[in-house]
Amino acid sequence: MEWKERGCDILKTSILMVGALGSSLFIQKQFKTQFLIPMILALAVILVSLLTQGYVYGIVSSLCSVLCLNYAFTFPFFRFNFSIPENMFSAVLMLSLTLITSTLTVKLRRQEKERAEIEKERMRANLLRAVSHDLRTPLTTIYGSSSALIEDYGKLTEEQHIELLEGIREDAQWLIRMVENLLSITRIGGADVKLITTSVVLEELVDSVLVKFRKGFPNQAVEVSLPEEFVCILVDPVLIQQVLGNLLENAVLHAKGMTRLSLNIYRKDGQVIFEVADNGIGIPPELLGNIFTGYHSQRGMNSGMYYGMPFGYEKRDVPVDNQKKSMGIGLSVCATIIKAHGGEITVENLPKGGALFRFAVEECG
Amino acid sequence: MNRNKYKILIIEDEENIRNFVRAVLQAHGYQVLCAEKGEDGRMLFESHGPDLVILDLGLPDMDGIQFIKDVREKSKAPILVLSARSNEMDKVQALDLGANDYVTKPFGTAELEARIRSALRNSSRYGNPGSVQPGRGSKGKLEIDYDARRVFVEGREVKLTQTEYNIVVFLVGKTGKVMTYAEIIQEIWGWNGPGSIKKLQVNMANIRKKIGERPGDARFIHNELGVGYRISVEEENHY
Repeated sequence: MEWKERGCDILKTSILMVGALGSSLFIQKQFKTQFLIPMILALAVILVSLLTQGYVYGIVSSLCSVLCLNYAFTFPFFRFNFSIPENMFSAVLMLSLTLITSTLTVKLRRQEKERAEIEKERMRANLLRAVSHDLRTPLTTIYGSSSALIEDYGKLTEEQHIELLEGIREDAQWLIRMVENLLSITRIGGADVKLITTSVVLEELVDSVLVKFRKGFPNQAVEVSLPEEFVCILVDPVLIQQVLGNLLENAVLHAKGMTRLSLNIYRKDGQVIFEVADNGIGIPPELLGNIFTGYHSQRGMNSGMYYGMPFGYEKRDVPVDNQKKSMGIGLSVCATIIKAHGGEITVENLPKGGALFRFAVEECG
Repeated sequence: MNRNKYKILIIEDEENIRNFVRAVLQAHGYQVLCAEKGEDGRMLFESHGPDLVILDLGLPDMDGIQFIKDVREKSKAPILVLSARSNEMDKVQALDLGANDYVTKPFGTAELEARIRSALRNSSRYGNPGSVQPGRGSKGKLEIDYDARRVFVEGREVKLTQTEYNIVVFLVGKTGKVMTYAEIIQEIWGWNGPGSIKKLQVNMANIRKKIGERPGDARFIHNELGVGYRISVEEENHY
């Protein structure tokens, strides 16, 4: 990555300098005047300092301008002459111009970086708060139900035993899914993206996703269509499984009235497109825009930071303090993972009802 | 309830996990031995000779991998590894060293029980009906005529290439055990070069298609993404 940036900077510098020198030569020839030329060169040097990283390119181009000015555009023409004090003075001026611009640019960039860092930190804190809240509800169920079972075992009917135990199991399963999402986020959300991309056989990936999905939701059929031929995709298999699992699960938990759930995969222009569609009630239009932003769309709120906010499908007709089944984190995790793969996840409501989530990944050769 | 008297050794340092696994196994009529540390586990293994070992890789006093190595020097008792999701490399290493299968934490009891049954049924100590042998043999819906090198699915013959046939026979011989890509490639082609995994994956895709396994509905060949493949005759998809 670094040499690429460096190459880019070198290219910018050369284009600007050649452009400036070319137009200077043209002006000198055409208008027979020199007084515009130092200004053009100064402008080029300032632009170079602004557009490149660090001091080096600015200094090199200002030295280059000074030499050119000396050589081509001051008397004696097309000969170096370092004895005229005026020329030395212009060199000093040019250099100081460069240094000031570069210093300002570097400072500005550093500030920008710091601001981004603060923003990231704030997002992380928000997520942490949201998650802690989300974790509390199922933990309450688990702690409470198991205490009840131990302390009042004899007073409860067998039916009640099973009911309490089912609550424990259900909430523990929810916690498992939540923790898997958090693991995915921490892997991506760190300082540098840690995707472990490998060539994955599409069919095997889909198989693993469906096997896992069936364990959680044995009664929900998924209509699957995928290419007949052998297709490999270049992805992080654990994370893409997480995305597909989250999307399927999101439909089951939140697409009310759903009778059909489908996973449609096809190839298009060297990419493999994944579509998860349901025929439930769809997503309210006002949520379509920020369904993936989940927790981070809420700024600086107090302890009730994400109450009633678009956290996924789930917020409608759920009482304010019953947030535990929220999928906001799940859908934001999907968006984050796909973004880390260089793609984008989109959602739309289908004309016949229901919602369709779509993303694409690279096919590998 | 006590129709099976298999002896199972659990080596796991988390007391709660040990307790619930023991409870489930005892409820299913297994004899259960528990060890908290690797050293205790080794002693129990020596003195009791269990039929199967459930091993947590992250033990406080020794590396679970080392335990597998030690056991494999003298015993073929199936080893079922409990692993965390993040340790893909550990899984492959454990399998390559001779572990039979792994279950990722957190796991359901039904899943664990199915894996145990599968590993015990195919444990070589009690005869291995699926290993390469003359005549005919069947595994679940698959029937193999070893003499004629022909394979039948539910009575209907499927035409496999030589390589595909070799892979199927090899995997069937190791039913219930996860075979890593490297193990299969070593067995089938004898050498492991760049592109070998892809070659294996293409062959596996063809085999799946020919014997009628559909994604998410594979009853016979289970694929362990990024690790390898496992043949199973248990109805493991039905927890």
